[in-house]
Amino acid sequence: MYTKVILVKDTDLKREDKTREFYTHLLDYLRVSNLHAQIQVVRVADIGVYDQGLVLKILPDKIVYCHVQDSDIKRIVDSTLGQGKVIDDLVFKSKAKQHRIVLRNCGKINPESIEEYIACGGYLGLKKVLGELGQQKLIEEIKISGIRGRGGAGYPTWMKWNFAREVESSEKFVICNADEGDPGAYMDRSVLEGDPHSVIEGLIIAAFAIGASKGYFYIRAEYPLAVERINKAIKQAYDYGLLGQNILGSSFNLDLEIRLGAGAFVCGEETALISSIEGKRGTPHPRPPYPSVKGLWGKPTVINNVETLANIPAIVSNGGKWFAQIGTPTSKGTKVFAVTGKVKNSGLVEIAMGATLREIVMDICGGTLSGKPIKAVQTGGPSGGVIPEALLDTPVDYENLQKLGSIMGSGGMIVMDEDDCMVDIPKFYLGFCVEESCGKCAPCRIGGFQMLVYLNKISEGKGRLEDLEQMRRLAQAMQKASLCGLGQTASNPVISTLRYFETEYKEHILNKHCPAAKCNSLVTYTIMGDKCKRCGLCVTNCPVQAISGDKEKGYLIAPEKCVKCGRCVDVCKFKAISKK
Amino acid sequence: MNKLTPSDLEKMHKASSDAPKDWIKVGMSSCGIAAGAEDVFNFFIEEVKKRNLQIEIKKCGCAGACYAEPLVEVSVSGLPSVVYGAVNKEVATKILEKHVISKMLVNDCIFEVLG
Repeated sequence: MYTKVILVKDTDLKREDKTREFYTHLLDYLRVSNLHAQIQVVRVADIGVYDQGLVLKILPDKIVYCHVQDSDIKRIVDSTLGQGKVIDDLVFKSKAKQHRIVLRNCGKINPESIEEYIACGGYLGLKKVLGELGQQKLIEEIKISGIRGRGGAGYPTWMKWNFAREVESSEKFVICNADEGDPGAYMDRSVLEGDPHSVIEGLIIAAFAIGASKGYFYIRAEYPLAVERINKAIKQAYDYGLLGQNILGSSFNLDLEIRLGAGAFVCGEETALISSIEGKRGTPHPRPPYPSVKGLWGKPTVINNVETLANIPAIVSNGGKWFAQIGTPTSKGTKVFAVTGKVKNSGLVEIAMGATLREIVMDICGGTLSGKPIKAVQTGGPSGGVIPEALLDTPVDYENLQKLGSIMGSGGMIVMDEDDCMVDIPKFYLGFCVEESCGKCAPCRIGGFQMLVYLNKISEGKGRLEDLEQMRRLAQAMQKASLCGLGQTASNPVISTLRYFETEYKEHILNKHCPAAKCNSLVTYTIMGDKCKRCGLCVTNCPVQAISGDKEKGYLIAPEKCVKCGRCVDVCKFKAISKK
Repeated sequence: MNKLTPSDLEKMHKASSDAPKDWIKVGMSSCGIAAGAEDVFNFFIEEVKKRNLQIEIKKCGCAGACYAEPLVEVSVSGLPSVVYGAVNKEVATKILEKHVISKMLVNDCIFEVLG
């Protein structure tokens, strides 16, 4: 039986992987020292530390050594393993860590078992609310915690609840907004699929806070597994008396129901969402009146995002003060981000507010996939903006991101490297918003379309310098005059790229050149004669027969025939085709 | 089913901290299932039955490391709890033969150590 485990991984991507070599050397020395029967050495695929040379982790002592050389083996085995001494100059100084509140149970419990949720302390928050706290103290506790809406805008949750509680009404409603639509964001899906009861418990507590007797889950139909698991969870909660009449023996009653979204992005906006639940066309209407006063069927309604609700049971159980200790002065608690794009470890990351973007991307997610430098990080989906590499050390919170011209948003985070074009990226996001615009108000419907026309012109090399000014004017009109958040924020990706990457726009306009070689109209493919081995693979793979020549004379691409599909670059084994 | 009372909740919460058992958890959210977690889960169930092993196979949600799906967490007494990533039938066989039966961690497949 082994008493210790040593994990080994070479985290330096710039050289050949030395994990195996080091592993053998370490094993050899352990054999010499006659420790091989007590210590197991394991090569791991990921050690949670990046770009720190060869990394060792010794268990159960939890000692992490980095930049380890072969010459260090002797002292590690002799002093650390033999005498239990820690070698200070090798110790890895721990960097940013995840802090899991929302994802506390994700990946730990069986999402289809209410018993496992209860075993992890589930529904004890609800018990505390019904038994000890009561409405007033509950809202007070949420106020102390300082939690703000995690759907994007960051409105204080307690204020929403308090408004709805103060309004006199025969009926009130609570809604969980699970209509997650930002491209690249899937935090809510993971929470609904991994820990559905935490969201249900949050919703029951919200309903109690305002005195609602009916609640809705508004989930997009594209999340069938989430719908199935929430459905099961609601049924289990009814069976256990955690929903329905006299919850946990109290006088509080609540019914929950699922409503499916039909795939419109704008239905994530609260007034459009309400229309959609009412069975009407999902279009927004002007606020005020805010839903907390006049919402679903004209009654006071609280709409909270999945992530906000998943926080609530933890806040209630541990107290508002506990939550308020985490994060920055204006933004409390943690935030879940879905980190995607050109990043090594894509996935969900939950960090305390105030961590920097660089910590998230480099220390937790391991940097870029290609090893190329980061160009920018996009946050907040189509309503957000890009943040250039130079500003990645900004601590993440609602205010800071807004100052940079982006938003926290629901938590999508897309990492971009040098191969991403800063005209192409806003074109994608704006295109998404134009497609998803409901068309009710003119600034969003016409403004978005016109701005997209300008972007297309620029990416085709037909832009003029005046267009940039024109786009800025359009953006201002859309921000000021659009009816809902979709139109007000649709121009953010364009404005933020203009703010930080204006030179790249000008390069497209003045020199008809796309530095990232993304904009097809400005890119030409050429075969480099010195690298070409004349295998002819590109000729057979070209779908439009644009490549001519033979094995003796070499090959040429005819620019007038080329459709710039990039097929030849993909198939060329000698990297002999340039794209500029 | 009987409706719960507040004291029932407490009891259910406390009863759960029983003696630790060996288990394998397979991440079965959309991301895991898309990467083949269902096959891995069924494979574990079959093999454990065939080999008559005393280990429980459980389902769980996504732990967040989507790039390494399907994720499988293994907790066997005497060894640190670890998460294996990119698990297929081949790795699953190794987990059973090496980790569960011989009590040794499997090389090159561990993505996270939970202590």
